[in-house]
This record gives sequence, C-alpha cells and structure tokens, in this order.
Amino acid sequence: MIAIKLRRKYLFYAVAILSSIIASITVGLDAIITSEMSKFYSPEEVSWVYGFSAFSVGLLISLAISLFLSIKVKGRCLGSFVDPAFNGLRIIRKEELKYHLLAGAGNAITTVGYFYALSLMTDPSAVIPFFRVVILYLLMVEMIVEKNTPTLIEIQSSTIVTLGAILGSISISGEIEVIPLAVMFLVVNPGWVLFSINQRKLKLLKIDGRANDSINIRLWNLFFTLIFVTIFILIYDVINGTSFLLESLKGSIDFFHLVALSMGITFFSYVLYIRALGMGKASVTEAVRASIVIFSIPVTFAVSHFIPIPIPQSSVLWLIKIIGIILVVLGIVSFALTQVTAYIFIRAKPGASISNLIEKIWKIRGVESVSAVAGKYDIIAKVRIRTLLKGYERIIRRLESIPEIGYFEWKSVLKEWENV
Amino acid sequence: MPMIKAYILVKARVGKLENILNEAKKVENVENISVVAGDVDLIIKVKVKSLEKLMELTDKLQMIDGVKQTTTYIIEKEITI
Repeated sequence: MIAIKLRRKYLFYAVAILSSIIASITVGLDAIITSEMSKFYSPEEVSWVYGFSAFSVGLLISLAISLFLSIKVKGRCLGSFVDPAFNGLRIIRKEELKYHLLAGAGNAITTVGYFYALSLMTDPSAVIPFFRVVILYLLMVEMIVEKNTPTLIEIQSSTIVTLGAILGSISISGEIEVIPLAVMFLVVNPGWVLFSINQRKLKLLKIDGRANDSINIRLWNLFFTLIFVTIFILIYDVINGTSFLLESLKGSIDFFHLVALSMGITFFSYVLYIRALGMGKASVTEAVRASIVIFSIPVTFAVSHFIPIPIPQSSVLWLIKIIGIILVVLGIVSFALTQVTAYIFIRAKPGASISNLIEKIWKIRGVESVSAVAGKYDIIAKVRIRTLLKGYERIIRRLESIPEIGYFEWKSVLKEWENV
Repeated sequence: MPMIKAYILVKARVGKLENILNEAKKVENVENISVVAGDVDLIIKVKVKSLEKLMELTDKLQMIDGVKQTTTYIIEKEITI
C-alpha cells in the first residue's frame, strides 16, 4: 500500500473539504431530482416527497454500501480506507442510543423545517444562505455546553466564514421574508446544532476500547432520522388533512434510482463529515464545510446543461459571490494556521494506578491521545489546542490538580506529518 | 493481528534535522513524525507487527546520518480519537 505522509493539521481540513466537494456534487443531483419530481408533484409536495425519500431510499442504499464496505480483504474491512476506525457493520450499543435519538431528531427537525420554509416561498434563494449562520450557533453552544470558550481567532474566523458563505450563495432574485427566515433561525439551525453536536459525541465515544466509526454512525443516524421524519409528516398530515406520507412512499419507489444515486454519494460526504467532527470542533468543521459554496459553482454550471436552472447573469452578483468566496477561504486558512500541538511526558507517583490515571487525563479537553508506555515515563499524552494560553488554562492547570502525577514535561510540536 | 505501537524519541546532531526528516519519512510503518522543541528533536510514532519488526525499524532510524540517540517507548495501552 502506498502511504502518503501529510502534514498532520491538514488531515482534518483534507477530510472536511473532501466531504464538501462530494456534497457539492449532490447539490447538482438534488436540483435534477427536484426538477424531475416537479413534473409529477406540486412544489409543496416535492419538498415532502423528496425529504422522505432521501431518508427512506438513503437508508437502503447506505445499508447496501455499508455491507459492501464490511467485506474484509487481508483482515481489513474495505470501509477502513474511508474511516480507519471501521470494523464492520454492527448493532448500536446502549451508550450510543441517547445520542442517536438526539442526532436523529435534530436531522429530522432540520429537514422538516427546511422544507416547510421552502413551501412558504416561491423563491427561497435569499433565505437559504442563512443556514450558514449555524457556524455561530455551534460556537455559542460549544461555549455553553462544552465549557469551551472560543478564542478570538475562532470568533473572527467563524464570523468571516459565515458572512462569506452567505455572500457566496446569495441570490438577489428572492425576497427575505420574515416567517421563512424565522423558521431558518429558530428551527432549521437549532436542529442542525442538535444533529452535529450529537454526531460528534458519538464519534468521540469508545466502542470496545476503539474509536467509534463514522460509517455505523451515519447508517444509524439515517435509521433514526427516518423514524422522526415519518412521525413529523404523519402529524402534519393529520393536522392539515394532507396525504404527504402516502405520496412520499409512492415517490420513493418512483424516483428510487435518482434518489439512490444522490444518497449513495451523500453517504460518503457524511461519513467524511463525521470523521472530521471527531478531529475538530463542530463549529470549525462546519466552517470548513462552508467551502461547499465554492465547489457548488462549477457543479451549478455543469447541471445547467441538463436542466434549466438560473445562472446569475449580473456582474454585481458575481462580484458579491467572489468577495464571499475570498472570505470563506480566508476564514478557513486562518483556522488551519492557528493550532498548537504538544506532547506531554508524564511520570506517575509510586503506587498510582496508571489505568485510572490515563482515564483522568483522557477526560481533559484538548487531549487527543493518551498512551501508557514502558520506560522512563509512564504516560505520553498528545494535546491539540488553539493557543498556548489555552494549553496552560485547560491542560497544565488540570494536570497539576491530579494528585497521582509526580512529574510532567511539555514538548511543543513545531511541525508534524502523518500517514494518510 | 495485534499490532505493536511505539514512540521513538530521536536526538539529532546540529544541522542534520532536515536530512533525518526526509529519510524518516521514507521508512515503512512510520505513522507520524513530529518535530518538537526540547531535549529531543523528533517524536516518531510507529506501528509494527512484532517486536522483531520494531527492532528492524529502530535500526533503520539509527542508521540515518545525523541521528545521535534514539529512545523507544512501547505503548502498552492507548486511548485515542
């Protein structure tokens, strides 16, 4: 096998950007599918039919892909090339259930909210870009829930990316209407926060002493999302006297091939996204994923050869888009360039349990790996933080409060390469 | 098959770091190379199939021009993302 050594900090960005490149292809496919569906359904029906079929057909196709990726070649699952932690398809564990329920509910809330917002408007293109504000939501949630105070650079870069992404995907044809915008801010974005924070928690869980894998997480997320989406559509049908669920089931069969293709590609985009979530904070991952606004442009041009989709003609709009793209790139680059990695060599006091000690160190935020080793030191920990100040506040102060530690030594990493 | 993981700490002679880095990148089973500040210059993480392979690997590293000293820490247990 050819091994490529890549600068370590770029691995996260490579995975997240690859995820958004793949996602941009599905943006084009989605435009083709909705255009095909609109020949048979009203605009409101298209939203629900596509929303439901994406998860029902998506679950089937993702199951098929996951089974294929579970095939072992020379003792390694094929899926381990996508996520090295993957070791075959499995039933979810009890400790995962809570997070899967929350992530599934979050994904369903986002989807249903998104389609509801679409159904309220004739031209939603001016409202959709506000989905990117989710990066700032995540930053706030991380600050409150994870007690993870963002650094100035994180706030600056997130804001730059968010504004850039809004400009990069904005359209001047649509109107900004209050209700759809409120749905975007109060339903869609909070739903996505619930989804991504819990997917990250799942990725950080240890299953049988191994890192959790993104392939099983994605598959099971589709399962739970489908359950919630079905419940939501059913409630909507009962309240409004519509029959969207039946139409959606029919649509899933009629458009199986196209939706299967789109969701098959989406599967890999999400698997990489979840993998990135395990490496970086949810807000930073989301910010890097905003690069989709760049990759969607060539896709939009390609798709416009097949179906009539509006390509912006105004030079002013293109200028706005280019400014947006520059902001997104600048924001992502400044995220990528501000990271501090260090090794901490630790000696335990005589009589201290090393197993307990590594568990305690593992719980410190920013610690990426802890290894019990044989030799002059007992433990080698690897940490990754945004600034050296954070390294002191979050890591050194915590290490000093652990009574079992006798001595420790901090070695800052100046440059790093990793096999990918 | 159970794999053996280890950290190999490398001290380099002055002016030879770049050469060691370039050579170490070519060595098989090297998972990660970090240039660090402190009493050692490089921390290399390796993953091999047996202790014998680990010895072969450390041999290769020691033979790189400019390597002054290597210290190997075999990982007994690891928790990682």
